[in-house]
Amino acid sequence: MNAFLKIAVLCSFSVYAWSSEVKLEKVTLENDVPAIERGAETLMNACHSCHGMKYIKYRDLLTFGMNKQKVDGWRADQSLDAPLLAQMSENDAMLAFAKVPPDLSLMTKARDGGVNYLYSYLLGYYTTAEGVTGNHIFPETKMPDPLGISGAATPEQRTEIQGQARDIVSFLAWAADPHEAERIRLGYYVIAYLLALTTLLYFVKKQIWSRLK
Amino acid sequence: MPSRIIEWIDQRFPLTSFVKHDLTDYPTPRNLSYWWNFGFLAGIVLVLQVATGIFLAMHYKADVAVSFDSIQHIMRDVNYGWLLRYMHATGASAFFFVIFIHMARTLYYGSYRAPRELLWWTGQGLLLLLMATAFMGYLLPWGQMSFWGATVITNLFRATPFIGDQVVIWLRGDYTVGDATLTRFFALHYLFPFLIIGGVLIHLVALHSVKSSNPSGIDLAAKDNIPFHPYFTIKDLYGLGVFLIVYSVFVFFMPDSLIEPANNIPANPMQTPNHIVPEWYFLPFYAILRSVPNMVGGVVAMGLSVMMFAFMPFLDRSRIPGGARYRPLYRLQYYLFLLDMLVLGYVGYVHPTDQTILVGQIATLCYFASFFFVPFISKMEERWLIKRGLPAEVVTLMKSESLEIEKRKLKHSRHNGVKS
Ligand code: HEC
Repeated sequence: MNAFLKIAVLCSFSVYAWSSEVKLEKVTLENDVPAIERGAETLMNACHSCHGMKYIKYRDLLTFGMNKQKVDGWRADQSLDAPLLAQMSENDAMLAFAKVPPDLSLMTKARDGGVNYLYSYLLGYYTTAEGVTGNHIFPETKMPDPLGISGAATPEQRTEIQGQARDIVSFLAWAADPHEAERIRLGYYVIAYLLALTTLLYFVKKQIWSRLK
Repeated sequence: MPSRIIEWIDQRFPLTSFVKHDLTDYPTPRNLSYWWNFGFLAGIVLVLQVATGIFLAMHYKADVAVSFDSIQHIMRDVNYGWLLRYMHATGASAFFFVIFIHMARTLYYGSYRAPRELLWWTGQGLLLLLMATAFMGYLLPWGQMSFWGATVITNLFRATPFIGDQVVIWLRGDYTVGDATLTRFFALHYLFPFLIIGGVLIHLVALHSVKSSNPSGIDLAAKDNIPFHPYFTIKDLYGLGVFLIVYSVFVFFMPDSLIEPANNIPANPMQTPNHIVPEWYFLPFYAILRSVPNMVGGVVAMGLSVMMFAFMPFLDRSRIPGGARYRPLYRLQYYLFLLDMLVLGYVGYVHPTDQTILVGQIATLCYFASFFFVPFISKMEERWLIKRGLPAEVVTLMKSESLEIEKRKLKHSRHNGVKS
């Protein structure tokens, strides 16, 4: 039966490797409050006009620890319990793009490749010699280059935009799974407890079975 | 005082004798390996699923307009809702993982053979119930994969002769998968686990009547049986600890690895996802479905592929005890079968291309062939092994076993004789 386990493990790894076809840029997220707050800020400026995040309320940003003045600035006269809806109406979006920009609250979990996909997509814009803008990752996308990476002239500008993209994706990853940090923290305790308990059980088992001869 | 209470109960209900017969004194072969832990684990996972499921149902709403939102409400706002939901979603996979190993163990050690056929068949019934429960549960989050998975699978019932279209409408409660489908799947998803619990009780009654098989495949003498408690209670608990560690790694550190990204997009009947895949535990059967070019044929093949296991007691005609232990050909067949399952799983997962379809068809053929040839191979193997000479202990065993059968027959005919 051990051979079975080995085969199963091998195969699960290879299926895993096969499943990623497109070459995506890898992004290392930051999950501290300042980075996520920066991401929220960039998103409010660069994406919020078209995209909403209906599962996130302004109050959630406060609870997470973001600056109250900033949050108040973003929500203007909306209530703290209002969700972050898109500024553009769906009708206007249909007129402009023939498509409603998707809600971003779950976006990092809703695409194969997750955060890497998003990061690569945002940075995937380029301009051809004829001045046409395209995207490597999602060629037929209707979204205009939101961060202006296709127009970045200098390496400094590129680095800055890459930083913005990383912050946005960090924010989106938090938004898709606000309890992740708590989950992982709890996970360490649970695993530590189970390891101790199981070790104990192992020795009790050994002791009990040693009575048999 | 407690002893007096127990006495009071015992006069009215066989509590002590039940605990003695089925727990503390229940005779268990001492040579059981850790592969025998998985039945107990399946029971624990069942309890976990029911417990988390009931609490999820307190917050979930079965309504196409709000189902998806209610899952997000559970994930974000309900206290430890994320834990309940991840435990339940991971638990479904854990259930199949544990059950597949439980079945693989039965096949390897030949535990399905006489006198354990009914045990095996009740298990087969439980597998079907589990599959139905998992399938219906998968619709509830009302994501893209939920919707399209349910659409594809309910659509298969069109293969029913004469009344196919009506059956599909009857199942869905509508012409397409919609609100009526969601509410009935929710109702049944809540009901089926209790049917499973009932099935498990029957499974256990059958088990406690024929007792556990063991790696040697031979019913052991009384001296080799030990009481279930404390030896196997502690062994099962230790196994449970190991299982919970693996389970917790998934629940706390990689809970999304088992959830298709497309299911985080709300169901949209107007937009087919470019790749519809079932959950991993259905992949081999899904591959068999897709391997047959004709829909009716595919459905029949898929249904048969799940049911084939039930025929094993008839197919395996060898008298050599002990499953794969003393039977090199059976062992080889077993491993090839597992390999074939993995190939089918892979084929079911990937986007079909000409090559994978061909591989899938070959693997499907191998799947059924490995059952079909069991009677011939097992008989041939038996003759070959007897000619080659079996280990002395096996020969004595086979002799004593056939003696047992003779004795039983004799008793039976005498019994009948008295009656008539
Ligand atoms: C001018 C309006 C507009 C702005 C501003 C905008 N988007 Fe979009 N976005 C769209 C539209 C339209 C789509 C739909 C694209 C499609 O499916 O072709 C879209 C799609 C997306 C998608 C989904 C891509 C996919 O795989 O389906 C993501 C992710 C996304 N936008 C992120 C962002 C982020 C992050 C920003 C801010 C940096 C942003 N968008 C700014 C209009 C916009």
